[in-house]
Amino acid sequence: MPLIRKPASPPETPAPDDRNIAEMLIEGSDDERWTAARRTTLLPEALPLLTTALSKERIARVREAIFTALAKMGSSESAAVIIPYLRSDDAAQRTAALDALRAMPGAAAVHLPGLLKDADADVRLLACEIARVLPADDASRLLEELIERELNPNVCAAAIEVLAETGTAASLKVLGQCATRFPEEPFLAFAIKTARDRIGSR
Amino acid sequence: MSDYSKKRVLVIDDAALVRTYYRSALEARGFVVEEALNGLEGLEKVLLQAFDLAIVDVNMPQMDGITFLHTLRSKELPISGIPVLVTSTESGMQDMAAARRAGANYYLVKPIKQETLAEYAAIFCGAAR
Repeated sequence: MPLIRKPASPPETPAPDDRNIAEMLIEGSDDERWTAARRTTLLPEALPLLTTALSKERIARVREAIFTALAKMGSSESAAVIIPYLRSDDAAQRTAALDALRAMPGAAAVHLPGLLKDADADVRLLACEIARVLPADDASRLLEELIERELNPNVCAAAIEVLAETGTAASLKVLGQCATRFPEEPFLAFAIKTARDRIGSR
Repeated sequence: MSDYSKKRVLVIDDAALVRTYYRSALEARGFVVEEALNGLEGLEKVLLQAFDLAIVDVNMPQMDGITFLHTLRSKELPISGIPVLVTSTESGMQDMAAARRAGANYYLVKPIKQETLAEYAAIFCGAAR
């Protein structure tokens, strides 16, 4: 049997250097930008690069890779880059931003008190979803404070949804006051009763 | 009570209390209700089971309601033809327009009364009120 010469190993694709990653992130093809987004976190200037890339990116899967990279960085600063996208008119962008913030609870928590007081009710509502990933005591305290001052029934409902899971006997008073404030909202009455039953049964 | 016992409704909403509220309203009128926690789970369900109506929230983790709608409408019939009632707290014109462009049959702004929900479910299921 003749000896078969083993083919030479193909040359390894050289890893892109830092400058290449930065260029790829902004100017590359969809696949290159996606790859670069995943590698950018290794660079010292990752945050400004990802911030710029996110503001320009129009392809959903690349945008998601950028959100994931920012979540992976897990800093208060990287959370701050994501937060404005909670206000997007595009539901997919809001979802991607929310998912990213929920993946970095420690960093998101720094911004949460401000988000729960945001002038935009839709932002306050999404902030309730971020609170869900905090330790139960922290989430309950923040959401009880929110419910005490909140005038929008949908935001109250979002907070009650989380409190039904995290709340304690201390939450019952706030829930009772909320029911009194919105007597004309049947969904809130239903949500409050269900939450109180669940908390009471624990 | 009208008989909607053969009408199957899929409720897609990440809020457990909302799903329970809708279920209570619809089951009281005889609808059969299935639930999904987000658009992705909703898609899995519509691919496996037949539904007369989907009631879909907009803001949900993993897959939002608008993306769900775009994907649903890109499927083959009869899946692509399932009537979809979008429910959301997003009351801006932009969101309503996005839902309409994505193929929503109607858009209801939360909070929604149980009677209203059941009434629209009956209309879209082709059942007499």
